[in-house]
Amino acid sequence: MLQLGTMTGAERTIASVSELLQLAPLPTARDAASKTREELDELLSAGIRKYTSEDTSLVVFGSLARGEWTSGSDLDWTYLIDGQANSDHLLIAQKIQKLLKDHKEKFRPPGQTGTFGSMAFSHDIIHQIGGQNDTNRNTTQRILLLLESAPIGRSNQAHERIIRGVISRYLEEDTHLLTADSRQYRIPRFLLNDIVRFWRTMAVDFASKQRDRAGEGWGLRNAKLRMSRKLIFVSGLLVCFGCNLDTSLQKKISTGEGDIKLNLVNHIREQVRLTPLEILADAVERYRISNTVAQELFGAYAEFLRVLVDKKSREALENLRASDSRTDPTFQHVTDISKAFEHALDHIFFENSQLAPLTRKYGVF
Amino acid sequence: MRLIGFSTGALARNDFRRALRMLTERRVRAVELSALRQEELIPLVEQLDSLDLRGFEYKAFHAPSLMEPEFEAVAIGVLEQVALREWPIIVHPDAMHRPSEWARFGELLCIENMDKRKPIGQTVADLADIFGSLPRALLCFDIGHARQVDPTMSEAAAILQRYSARLRQLHVSEVNSQSKHDPLSFESVLAFRRVAHLVPENIPVILESRVEEDGIYDEIENACKALSVEDVLALTGD
Repeated sequence: MLQLGTMTGAERTIASVSELLQLAPLPTARDAASKTREELDELLSAGIRKYTSEDTSLVVFGSLARGEWTSGSDLDWTYLIDGQANSDHLLIAQKIQKLLKDHKEKFRPPGQTGTFGSMAFSHDIIHQIGGQNDTNRNTTQRILLLLESAPIGRSNQAHERIIRGVISRYLEEDTHLLTADSRQYRIPRFLLNDIVRFWRTMAVDFASKQRDRAGEGWGLRNAKLRMSRKLIFVSGLLVCFGCNLDTSLQKKISTGEGDIKLNLVNHIREQVRLTPLEILADAVERYRISNTVAQELFGAYAEFLRVLVDKKSREALENLRASDSRTDPTFQHVTDISKAFEHALDHIFFENSQLAPLTRKYGVF
Repeated sequence: MRLIGFSTGALARNDFRRALRMLTERRVRAVELSALRQEELIPLVEQLDSLDLRGFEYKAFHAPSLMEPEFEAVAIGVLEQVALREWPIIVHPDAMHRPSEWARFGELLCIENMDKRKPIGQTVADLADIFGSLPRALLCFDIGHARQVDPTMSEAAAILQRYSARLRQLHVSEVNSQSKHDPLSFESVLAFRRVAHLVPENIPVILESRVEEDGIYDEIENACKALSVEDVLALTGD
């Protein structure tokens, strides 16, 4: 097993699940994300007073939303619109772009794909799930809105409405929300399939980007795929499986409390309000994952963040090409970290008595 | 410099004395005393003599936005006391059950254009019918209502052009989809700038944005930007 700096072995007892989230440098990255979101709001408020409205939210994704901000992180943002068509929206998005460009040392611009850094509309995100018009960009915006997004500033109505709209739309396509005996919620299959599809899309796009960019940035993208992108997928799986396993949710069926669909929408909404790491920590407690596995899981992730925080390591990954991956010591370290992460995930999803049957039933076929 | 003030109802619902104190302390020079609910009308009018309004260069009075038909005659009688002070009386067109009765207020009567919820009073054509029966009445142009009805501001421009001679006062705020009055967003500022040149500098502006006490100056400053013709030119050159 990988020996990580903060891990003191399998014997260590974790006093509480929250302790997992305190492994260095997770709290530092979380605080940095919170502070950066505030700074972003201050910058935009100073430059464009009240830059959002009832119909619009400025939403960030990626490490800033997950609470994993490091000095080298990109700022992935979208000016999210859920309201009447208004040609001024482009003007506002351009003003935001310009302001951020003027402060690019602090807020590094998003990647080259064009997925972020401009406007996005609720209609496409909610209506175009699957089918010819569900573009890669649309799928990415939608799944990341659910699993790793945060509104900036106080105005979050549009963000909130769209997230609830997306969840509701997924559930509308599932014929039955309850099991045949009406005692449990079923796994929301449409949502689950879209999350699985997104994970596979990210993996396929990894190869596509390698070709498009002639191998540039391969090391960092590979490391992210192994860790942070996989974490998004894992958190999505846990949210879906939780619909069937959460006892307080199932209890509402028998007591007749509230509307069947609305209860599920609310449950999923509350779950995705957590960051992916918080969802994982919650699962550790909920499914009684052993301390050894929990430490391996969170220790690996904390170590991954430590690599990203370290300027030299991050640069080494940024400059690494696939051909040198088997000899590069930084990448070898990342490989070890990701193996530990995967080992712990394998245990959780294939050996835990509650999760393993669901993984078998819904995970592959 | 435009004369910009606040509606008392926006600052402190049901507590006009508190709202007046906030405005007086900040030397705001325009105010609209608001009795938006029917039951607020008589108590407010009864206390007018006891209010210190010396700091305000411009004073207007907002009549109830909804009235029961049987209360209308009472309201008109009470509003006579406001008319004696020669303050503009702002009225929603759908609050008048017998418009001809309101004609007695002559040019003090200011008809306000309406938001999406209301059945009448939204467009140039709607207002033409109303002014047809109240030929001396003036216009309180609610720019937030006009934007909610038509975000392109075409209808707003049409109203301002058609009724420029009747324009007495402006209402400014961001009107949201529930027709509540919010502080101005940048979106509203951009929209209002498109018609700012149609609002003469001497037209008093009353803000209806629901803001906290410490947000009064910011909202006034934002309204100045929204109605600044210079900013329109600057925007064009951006």
